[in-house]
Amino acid sequence: MAEPRNLSRRVFLARIGVLGAALGGGGLLTRGLLNPADAATNPLLPPAVDLVRPVLAALARDTLNGLTAFALPGPDQYSRTQRASSSTPGALDAGATDFMINALDNFVPFPDALAQPISAALVTGLADSGVNLPGLEVLPAELRSLDQAFAAVLQSDEAIPLSFPIAGLLNLMATQVNPAAVNGPHLSPFARLTYAEKARAFELIEKTDSDLVALLDVQFPEPLKASVSGLLKFVGGALIEFATFGAYSEYGVLDRSTKTLRRRPVGWTLTGYQPDGPVEGWDDFIGYYQGRKEVHD
Amino acid sequence: MRDVIVIGAGGGGPVVAKELAAKGLDVLLLEAGPRHAKPREEWSTFEEDANNPLTGYFRLGPTDRSKPAWYREWPQNSFVWQLSGVGGTTQHFYGNYPRAYPGVFAGYEGADRNEYDVNHRFPFSYGEMVPYFEWVEAIMPVQTAAMGTKEQLFFKGAETMGLPVQTTKTTVKASYRPQENAILQPGGTAGRTADKNLLNYPQATGCTFCGYCFQGCMRPKGAPRNQYAKRSTDNSYVPMALTAEVWSRGGKPAELIADAYVTRVHTETRQGVLTASGVTWRDNVTGDEHREDARVVVMSGGCTENPRLWFNSGLPNPNGWVGRGYTDHFFDWMIGSFDDYTGNPKGVGSSARLDYPPYGGLENVGLPPALNAFAGTLSDSGIRGQYKNGRGQTGPWDGPAGRVMGPELKELVAGGIDKLLTVLVITDDDVEAQNRVTTSALPADENGPIPKVTFQQRKRTKRTLKNREFMARKAAELLRGAGAKKVYRIDWAPLILHVQSSMRMGASEHNSVLDPTGETRAVKGLFVADNSALSNGLGGPNPTLTSQALATRTAENIFTKYFGGDPWVRTSAPVVSTDPRISVRLGELGL
Ligand SMILES: Cc1cc2nc3c(=O)[nH]c(=O)nc-3n(C[C@H](O)[C@H](O)[C@H](O)COP(=O)(O)OP(=O)(O)OC[C@H]3O[C@@H](n4cnc5c(N)ncnc54)[C@H](O)[C@@H]3O)c2cc1C
Repeated sequence: MAEPRNLSRRVFLARIGVLGAALGGGGLLTRGLLNPADAATNPLLPPAVDLVRPVLAALARDTLNGLTAFALPGPDQYSRTQRASSSTPGALDAGATDFMINALDNFVPFPDALAQPISAALVTGLADSGVNLPGLEVLPAELRSLDQAFAAVLQSDEAIPLSFPIAGLLNLMATQVNPAAVNGPHLSPFARLTYAEKARAFELIEKTDSDLVALLDVQFPEPLKASVSGLLKFVGGALIEFATFGAYSEYGVLDRSTKTLRRRPVGWTLTGYQPDGPVEGWDDFIGYYQGRKEVHD
Repeated sequence: MRDVIVIGAGGGGPVVAKELAAKGLDVLLLEAGPRHAKPREEWSTFEEDANNPLTGYFRLGPTDRSKPAWYREWPQNSFVWQLSGVGGTTQHFYGNYPRAYPGVFAGYEGADRNEYDVNHRFPFSYGEMVPYFEWVEAIMPVQTAAMGTKEQLFFKGAETMGLPVQTTKTTVKASYRPQENAILQPGGTAGRTADKNLLNYPQATGCTFCGYCFQGCMRPKGAPRNQYAKRSTDNSYVPMALTAEVWSRGGKPAELIADAYVTRVHTETRQGVLTASGVTWRDNVTGDEHREDARVVVMSGGCTENPRLWFNSGLPNPNGWVGRGYTDHFFDWMIGSFDDYTGNPKGVGSSARLDYPPYGGLENVGLPPALNAFAGTLSDSGIRGQYKNGRGQTGPWDGPAGRVMGPELKELVAGGIDKLLTVLVITDDDVEAQNRVTTSALPADENGPIPKVTFQQRKRTKRTLKNREFMARKAAELLRGAGAKKVYRIDWAPLILHVQSSMRMGASEHNSVLDPTGETRAVKGLFVADNSALSNGLGGPNPTLTSQALATRTAENIFTKYFGGDPWVRTSAPVVSTDPRISVRLGELGL
């Protein structure tokens, strides 16, 4: 019994991106670091929990790079990977990924009552929904310590930054659309998708049925359960709308303390908006239509 | 013990506060959000600073921007755009002030009388509303909009549609016209120069065509607060309420407290009748609770927050209509791309409209880059060229409806955002019990259980769905007529910003919360005066004028029923909100 459970746990971790980010080809943790034998013999190594936290943050950032490049492609590597790039600046140049991370982690007041069961689902999530993933030749011992460290992070008192479960959701959908996305360039499955595949992932999120909820298999307490599929539809739309808003906004170059711009925002350059910066007014007053300045009954 | 406590200083609350302060009543105006008393210091012209719904100075949240915004549940892809703060959602509105169509009022006898939302009319006639329209129009003041390039282009398109030009305040048939706007017409150098040095008040008066309606109006530079061009209530009704003693004989200035979140309306039973007795509010900064009593309580928290406050106060809801019948004009968005300059991001957000009773209407709406991008990607029809989410309507626009995003959006704006003309499609939508506010099962915030706003956008009435398709086609026709080389239809997911009728006033006790005077049927001494009190979606016209006219009527009803006074709207002349006495007094108050 232990082996199938291990396998489907491995599949799950791979699908939300954690396995690849930690241990995969370009993984951030060398396998040795997580090897319990090494850890036991090398007192200089930090506990695995502390190693995993930055991995999760890097995974979230990478996934959101994939999202913002989807919203506004540019000349960057993420845009090239999705095979929709452009020679003019894009979301990554505009700082849109930071915009998303800052919003998700610091400002979306996501209720704990939802975050908790989602985190729990990530700790225990299994995936054997018939998606065959290539290249999962991780040693069980390593997996176990990664998983333990991961669980410890999720269960610690420190709140999980929302960017992480959002990234997990995108990666889960990414590997549904294209199982081969568990491996490849970048850290995250979502960032490895083509533009069309990313669109397909959003199609799954936006779909009106509850496939996704079932797939996540999150045990939400009643009466929250009924809220989840609606919430996911909202999240699907909001991720696209906010990533796009952020990409075209002044976020990356706005000095909040002085309310001035450090540089011309990417969004302004792309759209030709106010070529000489902010104004007090424009000389665009033509007159009154048909010369009528007032009307009465 | 106050005479009147008004909950919410948005579009509606300050109207009641101002009218009753003018009559000398002791009025307390409580506002959940910030008070932007120094806009030149607190605001900017940046979309990220102003309009980021999580962190912007225009958001639904407390003054302290390092604290999260107030979370609301929307169980569908949608966006409910309400603001907290003195001025409420009018802080970033466009000041479009058309009157409701006559067909939405009782007693309407026009040939098309059966084609409106006939089961949810206002319980009185259009004729009875006219003096209140005129009163608000004079106070604001409402003026015929000046024309810029984008309006000229809109009219060019409208001229190809075989419709007449409307030259009256009342809309009687399909027609187009400049907006009647609560925006001061440009005077002096305003609208005639882009030179900053020439745009100081009083060399410039009224609208300078800056294009920043959405970031808050604080122009012309140097003008007193009540002479800024856009007549959001923070620039009009609130200054009047706070200075009532200088412009109204016997007036008593209202007291305004910001960051004061009302969490409960209290009641007691007097002679067997459930009667409002006061409120409890929570100070956002300290968390302290305060309680005050009043003879009359007025709810003006808006369409989403009033039902929440009602439920959280445990008030009775015998017919189940509290929160129901929410209308939103089931908007859509059309983008035309042009070879030539359109001036889209300059001037008032919208200064041209086309009315089409009993279907709805159209108006041009110019947006800066990030909001333009947001508007192009809010869709219920997937991503153009990728997936349709079960919809993706086709018609006289190019390709299927859906998000214009990624490479397509980038290409669209590459020619310049001022080569677009964007049109808001406004639907005359029916009052439907299923579109509603309930209490969310998600965790409460610091002010109690939160509201959940449900819109069944795909299951709306046949009439609503048909009207939307009709108006979308008209929008495409207009854009083509104006010379658009390409027309995109977004098929917006519900963008809920024209909000109406969630605490509706009605003739029937079976489907309304308010009786025809504006008082709640279930609790005496409790009134509702804001958009939620409206009986329906007005046929499509932007709601604030009608909401304020109705709030004025409700203020009269409060004064006559509870304070033994006489009505005044038909018998006196209004003072305009730009009155210099108000400016002087604001100066003395450091406002
Ligand atoms: C982008 C945009 C453009 C618009 N343009 C136009 C236009 O051109 N013309 C037009 O007519 N309409 C326009 N509207 C709609 C317009 O903003 C609303 O009609 C108007 O603001 C509604 O007024 P209200 O009083 O009902 O609600 P609000 O203006 O939302 O005011 C409610 C106020 O009550 C406060 N409040 C809520 N609950 C509590 C509580 N419990 N305790 C204390 N305070 C509370 C809120 O903080 C808020 O300040 C626009 C809206 C948007 C979003």
